[in-house]
Amino acid sequence: MRLDRLDRWLGIGLAALALAWLGLAFAYIPGARGEGEPGPRAFPILLGVLLFVLGVMLAAAGFGSARRRAAPAQEIEPPTRREAAVAAGTFGLLMLYAFLLEKAGFVAATPVVILLAMRGLLGLRAWLLNLSMAGGVTAVCWLVFVVLLETPLPRGSWWWLL
Amino acid sequence: MVAALIAALQPEAIAATALGSVLGLFFGAIPGLTFSMALALMLPFTFGMPAVPAMALLLGIYVGGMTGGSVSAILLGIPGTPSAAATVLDGHPMARNGQAGVALGAAVIASAFGGLFSLAVMMMLLEQVSALAIRFGPAEIFALVLFGLSTICGLAERSMVRGLVAGVLGLMLMIVGLDELDGVARLTFGTVQLQQGVNLLVAMIGLFAVPHVIAMFLDHGRGEPRRVPHGVRARLPSLAQLRQRLWLMVRCAGIGTGIGAIPGTGGPIAAFLAYDHARRFSRRGERFGEGELSGVVAPETANNAVTGGAMIPLLSLGIPGDPATAVILGGLLIHGLQPGPMLFSTHIETIYALYMAIVLAYAVVLAVQLWGIRVFVRVLEVPPHLLAVCIVVLCVLGSYAIRNSTFDVYLMGVMGLLGYLLLRLRIPIAPVVLGLVLGETLERQYRTALILSEGDHRIFVDSGPALFFYALTALTVGLHLLSVRHARRR
Repeated sequence: MRLDRLDRWLGIGLAALALAWLGLAFAYIPGARGEGEPGPRAFPILLGVLLFVLGVMLAAAGFGSARRRAAPAQEIEPPTRREAAVAAGTFGLLMLYAFLLEKAGFVAATPVVILLAMRGLLGLRAWLLNLSMAGGVTAVCWLVFVVLLETPLPRGSWWWLL
Repeated sequence: MVAALIAALQPEAIAATALGSVLGLFFGAIPGLTFSMALALMLPFTFGMPAVPAMALLLGIYVGGMTGGSVSAILLGIPGTPSAAATVLDGHPMARNGQAGVALGAAVIASAFGGLFSLAVMMMLLEQVSALAIRFGPAEIFALVLFGLSTICGLAERSMVRGLVAGVLGLMLMIVGLDELDGVARLTFGTVQLQQGVNLLVAMIGLFAVPHVIAMFLDHGRGEPRRVPHGVRARLPSLAQLRQRLWLMVRCAGIGTGIGAIPGTGGPIAAFLAYDHARRFSRRGERFGEGELSGVVAPETANNAVTGGAMIPLLSLGIPGDPATAVILGGLLIHGLQPGPMLFSTHIETIYALYMAIVLAYAVVLAVQLWGIRVFVRVLEVPPHLLAVCIVVLCVLGSYAIRNSTFDVYLMGVMGLLGYLLLRLRIPIAPVVLGLVLGETLERQYRTALILSEGDHRIFVDSGPALFFYALTALTVGLHLLSVRHARRR
C-alpha cells in the first residue's frame, strides 16, 4: 500500500471519528452550569475539533502528494494473514484470560491461557515444555504475588457452583 | 548534625533504608506494580516504628521505585513506572542492539546522580524554591503543562501531524470517566467501572506491552535473527562516555529538580522534557530512538532528580506532588512530623536524618542494581517467545493488581489492540501516553483558572511565568518545524 493512500484513508477515518466524538460529547456530556465556567463539555469539544482538523490535514496531504508526485510513492508493508491472525489471537487470548480470571480464578486460568498461547499462537508441540511453562509460571507468580506480596488474586466464581 | 547522623546510621534505620530500596526497585521494575502501591502497602507496617527508620523505609521505596522503572523499560520495552516511559525510547533499542548492560549501568548511574544532585539542591534552596513554586497558580501550571505537551513534536518521529493525532487521542482517553470538578460522568455510557476513567498504568501496560508481545509472537519461527542476542554481559558505560554527558546530566538534573518542585507535575513530564532537551541539543540527534546513550541518561537523571524537587513543597508546605509523595505525607503525619515552616525548628534533627537516609538509599540502589544488572540481564537470555508468554501473564496480573478489577484486564487488552493498530497506521504511541499523563492536569488547571477569573481568558497571559512557558512552547514547536524543514531540504 502506498503511504499517500494510507494518509488519505487515515485522514478521512480520523475526521469521521472526530465527528462521532463530537456527536457523543454533545449528546452525553452536559454543558457549563454557570457563566464563566467552561464546564465538562468544553475540553472534549475542543479535542474533537482538533482531531477533525488534523484528520482533514492528513487527508489533504495524502491527496496533495498523490497529485504532485514526482518520485515513486513510499510503499508500506500491509499486514500479512499470519500477522493479522497473531494480533487477533493475542487480543482474543487476553480477553479469554480476563474472562477466565473472573470465573475460574488465577490458578486455573493461567495454565490454560499459557497452554493456549504455546500451542495455539506459537505452534509449540513440545508438551513437556508447554506443561512446564504452564505449571512453572503459574507457581512462581502465585508464590510472588499471593504468598510474598499478599496481592489478592481472583479465586473465581465458578468454584462456588461445585 | 551529629545527632542526625547517629539517628540515620542506627542499624534499624540502615536496615529499613536497604529494605525499602530493594522493595522499591522490585516494585518499580515489574510493569504494573507501582512503588506508590509499595508505599501504601508498607505504610501500615511503619506505625510501630520510630520516625527515622519508618520514614527511611518509605523514602527508600520512593528512591528505589523511581530508579527501578528503568529496568523493565530497557530490558522489555515496558516502563515499570510512568516516569520511565521516556527511557523506553532509547533504552530498549540499546537492549535490542546488544547494549542492555551499558543502558542499565548508565541508567543507574544517571539516576543516582540526578537524585543526589536534587537532594543537594533541595538542602540548599528548600525555602527559596518552595516560595517560588507556591506562587504558581492554575494559569502558570496550565502553561507549564502545555510546554510539557510540546515535547510531542520531538516524539512525533516522521510526521508531526501523526504525533499530534496521537497526543489528541491520549487526551481523549483521559476525558472518559467522572469529571472531578463537576462530578459529571463523561462518555461512560452507564458503565460503573469506567467512572474511574482509563487508569494510566492500565493504558500504559496495554499500549506499550501488547504490541511488543504480538511482535515477539510473530518473530517466533520466522528464522530471522533474534532481537535480543544471547550472552549479553553487564557493562558499565566508560568514564569517557559519562564525562561526555556530564554537562547534559547536570542540565537534566536541573530540569528534574525544577519540575519536581512544582506540585502536580512529576517524573513523566521531567523525563520527556529532558529527553527532548537532550535530543534537540545533541550532535547525534538523528540517532535518538535508535539506541542513543544520551536518550537513557537524560530521562533517568531527570526523573530521579524529581525526588528531591518533590520533597521541597512536601516538606516546606505539605503539598504532595504525586500519589507517592501523598503516601509519604501520610507517613510524616503519622509520625508527628507536621510539614511546614515549624518542621525545621522542631524536628531539624529528624529532617537531616531523612536527608542522610536518601543518600544511603541511593548508595543501596546503586550497589544492588550494579550487582543485580547481571541478574536483570539474564531476563534477555530467555527465548523471546517464552518471555512473551510470561509478559502476557505479568500484564494481566499487573493490570488486575492496580485496582483488583478484571475490568482493568479487559481494558488493558483493548488498549493493547489500540496500540497495535496505531503502530500499523504509523501513529507513534509515546504521545498518546504523554496526552494521558498530562491531560488531566491540563484540563483541571485550565478550568480552575477560568473559574477563578470568572471566564476571563486574560488570566492565562497576565503572569510572567506563564508567558515564559508559552515562549518556551513556541520555541520548541518552532525549532522542531525548522529542523524538519532543514532535514527535508537536505
